[in-house]
Amino acid sequence: MTIVLNELDTRFKYDVAAEPGGENIKQCFACGLCTASCPVSDIDPVFNPRRIIRMVLLGMRKEVLCADFIWFCIQCYTCQAHCPQNVDFSDIMKALRNMAVREGCVPLSFAEKVKEIDVFSQKLRHEMVSDLLARKPEGERVEISTVAEKALSRLKS
Amino acid sequence: MSQGNGKVGSVLVVGGGIGGVQAALDLAESGYYVYLLEKSPSIGGVMAQLDKTFPTNDCSMCILSPKLVEAASHPNIALYTYSEVEDIRGEPGRFRVKIRRKATYVDWSKCTGCGVCSEWCPVVRPSEFNQGLDDRRAIYTAFPQAVPKKFVIDKEQERLCHAACRDACPLHMNVCGYIKLAAEGRIDEAYRLIRATNPLPGVCGRVCYAPCQGACNRGQIDDFLAVRDIKRFVADQVDADKCKLDLAKAESTGKKVAIIGSGPAGLTAAHDLALKGHGVVIFEALSEPGGMLRVGIPEYRLPREVVRKEIGQIQNLGVEIKTGVTVGKDISPSRLKAEFDAIFVAVGAHQGMELKVPGEHLQGVIQGVEFLRRVSLGEKVEVASEIAVIGGGNTAIDCARTAKRLGAEKVTIFYRRTRAEMPADEEEVQAAEEEGIKIELLVAPVSLHGKKKLTEMELVRMKLGEPDASGRPRPVPIAGSEFRVPVSMVIAALGQAPIVDFVKELGVDLSRRGTIEVDPASGATNVPGVYAGGDAVTGPAFVVDAMAAGRKAASSIDAYLRGGSVPPAEEKREPEKLTEDEIRTVTGAVELARRTKMKHLPVEQRAGFVEVASGYSLAEAQAEASRCLAGLSEGCIECLECVDRCEAAAINHTMSDRIEEIDVGAVLLSGGFECFDSSRVYELGYSRFPNVVTSMEFERILSATGPFEGVLLRPSDMTAPRKVAFIQCVGSRDEKHGRPYCSSVCCTYAIKEAMIAKEHSTIPLDVTIFFMDLRTYGKDFDKYYDRAKEESGIKFIRSKVYSVEAGGRPGDLKVKFTTEDGMSKAEDFDILVLSVGFQTSPELVELAKKIGIQLNPYGFCQTKPFSAVETTKNGIFVCGAFSAPKDIPETVMQASGAAGDISTFLAPARKTLTKIKEYPPERDVRGQEPRIGVFICNCGINIGGYVRVSEVTDFAKTLPNVIYAEHNLFTCSQDTQERIKNAILENNLNRVVVASCSPRTHEPLFRETVREAGLNPYLFEMANIRDQCSWVHMHELEEATDKAKDLVEMAIAKARLIEPLKRQSLPVTRSALVIGGGLAGMVSALTIADQGFEVHLIEKNNELGGIARRIHHSFDGGDVQDFLSQLISRVQEHPKIKVYTNTWIVDARGFVGNFTTEVMRYRGRVIERIDHGVTIIATGAQEYKPEEYLYGRDPRVLTQLELEEEIAKGSPDVVNCDNLVMIQCVGSRNEERPYCSRVCCNQAIQNALRLKEIKPEMNIHVLYRDVRTYGFYEELYRKAREKGVVFLHYDPEEEPRVRQTRKDGRLLIRVECKDPVLGDEIAIDADILALSTAMTPPPDVKELAMFYKVPLNQDAFFLEAHVKLRPVDFATDGVFVCGLAHAPKSIEESIAQAKAAASRATVILVKDVLTAEGIVCTVNEVICGGCGICEVLCPYSAITLDREKRIAVANEALCKGCGTCASACPSGAAQQRGFRRDQISAMLDAVLSGV
Repeated sequence: MTIVLNELDTRFKYDVAAEPGGENIKQCFACGLCTASCPVSDIDPVFNPRRIIRMVLLGMRKEVLCADFIWFCIQCYTCQAHCPQNVDFSDIMKALRNMAVREGCVPLSFAEKVKEIDVFSQKLRHEMVSDLLARKPEGERVEISTVAEKALSRLKS
Repeated sequence: MSQGNGKVGSVLVVGGGIGGVQAALDLAESGYYVYLLEKSPSIGGVMAQLDKTFPTNDCSMCILSPKLVEAASHPNIALYTYSEVEDIRGEPGRFRVKIRRKATYVDWSKCTGCGVCSEWCPVVRPSEFNQGLDDRRAIYTAFPQAVPKKFVIDKEQERLCHAACRDACPLHMNVCGYIKLAAEGRIDEAYRLIRATNPLPGVCGRVCYAPCQGACNRGQIDDFLAVRDIKRFVADQVDADKCKLDLAKAESTGKKVAIIGSGPAGLTAAHDLALKGHGVVIFEALSEPGGMLRVGIPEYRLPREVVRKEIGQIQNLGVEIKTGVTVGKDISPSRLKAEFDAIFVAVGAHQGMELKVPGEHLQGVIQGVEFLRRVSLGEKVEVASEIAVIGGGNTAIDCARTAKRLGAEKVTIFYRRTRAEMPADEEEVQAAEEEGIKIELLVAPVSLHGKKKLTEMELVRMKLGEPDASGRPRPVPIAGSEFRVPVSMVIAALGQAPIVDFVKELGVDLSRRGTIEVDPASGATNVPGVYAGGDAVTGPAFVVDAMAAGRKAASSIDAYLRGGSVPPAEEKREPEKLTEDEIRTVTGAVELARRTKMKHLPVEQRAGFVEVASGYSLAEAQAEASRCLAGLSEGCIECLECVDRCEAAAINHTMSDRIEEIDVGAVLLSGGFECFDSSRVYELGYSRFPNVVTSMEFERILSATGPFEGVLLRPSDMTAPRKVAFIQCVGSRDEKHGRPYCSSVCCTYAIKEAMIAKEHSTIPLDVTIFFMDLRTYGKDFDKYYDRAKEESGIKFIRSKVYSVEAGGRPGDLKVKFTTEDGMSKAEDFDILVLSVGFQTSPELVELAKKIGIQLNPYGFCQTKPFSAVETTKNGIFVCGAFSAPKDIPETVMQASGAAGDISTFLAPARKTLTKIKEYPPERDVRGQEPRIGVFICNCGINIGGYVRVSEVTDFAKTLPNVIYAEHNLFTCSQDTQERIKNAILENNLNRVVVASCSPRTHEPLFRETVREAGLNPYLFEMANIRDQCSWVHMHELEEATDKAKDLVEMAIAKARLIEPLKRQSLPVTRSALVIGGGLAGMVSALTIADQGFEVHLIEKNNELGGIARRIHHSFDGGDVQDFLSQLISRVQEHPKIKVYTNTWIVDARGFVGNFTTEVMRYRGRVIERIDHGVTIIATGAQEYKPEEYLYGRDPRVLTQLELEEEIAKGSPDVVNCDNLVMIQCVGSRNEERPYCSRVCCNQAIQNALRLKEIKPEMNIHVLYRDVRTYGFYEELYRKAREKGVVFLHYDPEEEPRVRQTRKDGRLLIRVECKDPVLGDEIAIDADILALSTAMTPPPDVKELAMFYKVPLNQDAFFLEAHVKLRPVDFATDGVFVCGLAHAPKSIEESIAQAKAAASRATVILVKDVLTAEGIVCTVNEVICGGCGICEVLCPYSAITLDREKRIAVANEALCKGCGTCASACPSGAAQQRGFRRDQISAMLDAVLSGV
């Protein structure tokens, strides 16, 4: 597919840069460290921070804001901790999500649900880790799925 | 000072790297006195650490070393190494500089660099030179080819200890030294060090009374160090026969010494005398050698095997021991006196002291020494069941314990004082008690009773009275306290006396006590040639005292036999205790720890005479040795081993820093850079994984002088790696770590290291380089990159590596990265090399602050616009990496450029402070029979230890024409130069031969000496018997000596035929011709003219300015047009510059100093001839006019220069457009022009930024291959991105496509390319398309190159003499290049190079006459066939073929004496002076005569 830049919104990058968290997006020199460090990219190559930044820089407004991938970031900040240009990709994701809601790509309730998922998954993680710690599993084999199930059931009750 | 217009004619150059050295040489040659200051002990800088240099893969040290030697031997350069600038005051032209000259602790006027001190130094420090990958010693030179080759001691000022042990030891053993080595587990080395002063370490490690321990300063803190036990451990571990001892044995003197007695005194004397080259025979009365060691000390304390082995070691030195021979009985002393040249009496004290009580002669009473002797010699000795031992010394304990072992049931020791006064070792006493021996104190025997056989002993109880002569309380009998005990055997162990009556026969005096009288300083008796020592002199004493006496006597005997004076007795220093303050400091600094006690055999296992003390384990020995306070110093432990080892007596541990003040007119800062600390980037694993190394470390790993001797190994397990990866931009282009700039050189050095690694690897090596933009922007660097990819098969992956983790197999490293298409990958490697960036050292930052020069935001030196060599402070200049990261050629260019500026700045003071050396008139030796003097160097023991130098000297004396020959301790030392001069004068010598080390370093020195004695310097020959004999045949004394003789014979054979050579003097026309009136040409013209020399400036156009006329902004934002117009008017108004516009060169002739150029002006209307001494080519370059991308067919397609002009004009079509696209590398980096045009990336970004300033909303897309905004230009790139310029990478395989399209009736330029990140095709409809086109040389350069006999590279840029170190010179002297004629470069770089060319040219112009090389080519016209081979091959264009006469003509002024012509000439017509065919043949005849 050929992308004709003149048909894109070349203001998009300035808009993102004006959004809290998006300030440094234009600093990117596409080294790819963000993608290399990203745990989400590891399991889903469609989530590619460098590519997302490139799409913003080229002006692919709709393609970014309405895309599924902006919601996959788990906000682990690994990319941000390593970026040599201080692009702060985790913060950019927040900016993009806010814009996506504002521009109607997703309803607000969706974003709130995502927030809920974040809180829930943090709780789930906390439960699972506490469980492991309680067992002090020195050399003990533990199936993560069973720990997860147990934690889930505890959270439900 | 009035001479210099108030300015001082000297310059301080701060930093002895290649930049500093080049500038120093240029300045010194231009008539200024130079102080070259360097903080480390050697000049050479980082370049000395590099293995190879890019892009030619030349050996770095090989090309650097001659420069260093040249700087060091220059009469107008003062080397201030190991020095630091404290302060700079004063004003430009007259600064006063305060310099700290750090204490070297080695007197450099005496140090000859032989290196023996370092070999013996026990302190190991990480080697800075090898990046800590291996070690150096505390006394060291930075690297093997260090200049100056002088040693320094790395010393902490605060020390914890006084090394009192050494002072307390009668043998003056280097205790701290071997303890330190033992602590580090370097047991063999510890043994070598012990053996250097002690021939009986196993013995002393067991039975020494260890005064060192008594003096040990640690004893004041917690517990003294168990020095003796550590020594024993070391001695027991090492197989002396296999350990390379390095005991230098002197040549045989032919003298013989008789030693009477084979105890410790006799053995030590024998050992020392044998080493000094004397023949030694020991006469021993007993059947076994060893004296008291053998028959006095029981075997459970000192095993026989230890004694036997150590005596064996002494015998191995050629010492003969005759046992069973009693002097005075079997052989008379007089006969010995007659047969031997000297006698040493060391018979010991084997006569026991009597009890002096009634009944002493009853059967059952025995002397302790006799008892022990008989047991030791294996005689059957009956012991009674109840035994009394009288005495409290070690002999008493030995007797008691021995008796117990022989089966006595009850053994009691009776001693007349208390336990505190017992002379025996406390440990011994305890051991005796453990074994069930009773000790009765404060009792003395009164009488012994029995009928023939002893049955009873009467004793009296004692009390302690006033102290006696020995200082101990005198025991006083208590009246009426007598009592009797039943005994059947009494062993009297009250002491021993010597039996020495036999010496009276020789007339030797005895003392009243019956011992031999000697002079305490020398051990000499009253009879010349007869010496004595040990117990025979002192009465019973300790082993180590006897050994010390043996040593003293040996040294006196040696002096006596050599007819010299007796060496003064060694100054005995009292062991120094710690003061209370010191104790407090030490207590705070060390962890308290008790002594590690040696294990003893349990009592129940002490059957027979098995050794009781079982010795340390390695861990115990190391733990104990680690307690040594001296060893805790970070640096020299002041063991003073170096003092003992240095034959030149150069070591001085009492030196301190000196402050010196100098006056200089200008200062040049060339402090270089340091590497970024990679451990700051945690995720890359440096300092966590041993196989993650920095590029500097890898450079050392690859180097033949590096830690692995050039074998490619990975540090963790020393195996050959199969996969190596480089990670670029570590500490560069990294905002996160505060290093936003590009370090400029890393891409190219990584390629170099990758290529060399592949070459060095013995197995196929896979190399990957992870990079972001590959920045091989320098001259010919892109070809290098292509070679790396295509020929060496190095993989390049465009990706920043995220993390490094432990890989699949031990030592491997897993690298995680993402390729451009977004694929996450992980790959394992054996070695990871981090390409580390540059930064300024904290010392330089501090210096800058102190002297008030500004640094830029990155911490590098701020320079003035359009002058990269001027700091913000007048009179203070800068060059090299201190102003910005840069490679070697650019550093050298800047160095010469700075020298040019300084030379202009100080021109009035030129030659006011330089020295010209006066020599005596040269003696005419023509027609004289050769009278050769030969000087052969021992180099301390460096040669003398492995080659019999005196034999070589004697051999030289036998050769024809050798009038004089001698050998010297150090032939290169200052006093030997005087000796050589005197020898020349006294013996009327007319040829000199030195056999020593390398002519590379030392020939200039000896030539100078010869010249100072009135001989032509070429009447000198050198033989390298160090590198070629003692070094390579270290363990083959005979062969090394024979080879040294051969080499000396060859040198002498040649010396017979050598002749004085004249160095031709050439006049200099003191004017310059500068070709090209562009920026570079004008700057170099002005730099020369401002120094008062005439300049002819040739420009083919009708106005000056060149391509710069089209440039408006320099990359650092300067106004180019403004600068240019000022420059043009200065040039035009300058009284010394004659400008020729519309002028072409039509012919040129001549050579350095004497060129004649014909020029044609106004297209043939005027022809002029210009005489000039130097030529500078500054012909510039032009912009490539592309045929691709619609250029020339669509007016909206512009080159970058055209775009710049349009922006400057404010053309509305350009500045108001909506979409502008730039395509980089148009016509560059392709097959036709395989080079990077260097400036285009910056230029494009600069234009983009201007446009964004005018119209911020303009869409600008830059299609690039690699963004090459090197150095601080990275800032431009960052700014452009910030402003919204979008950069899209394209692959050369998928170049952008451009076509015209029509949309809404408008004709558009459609640019299409593939975006590798999106993986999609992108199309941009551009209003303006700017092409960053190549820079190409002008078409007429080929002709010009022919006129001046200089070469072009394959891209038609001028090819300099050497791409690294001579970047503005040509191989042809007197011709220089600068600016774009050399290669594409920025305005600032052109200016620096123009100044450099001017500086190099000035070096010639300041000379009254030029002196050519003496060793030059000559052509024998009679036999020259005129084939012309020499003309083609001569690299200096010094030979031309006279095509009419058909003979080759050599120009001596241009010849460098390389010898290429001589070796190629088929008829032998071309020959090299000083290396003539007959001379070489004579050498070959000499070496082959014996074959």
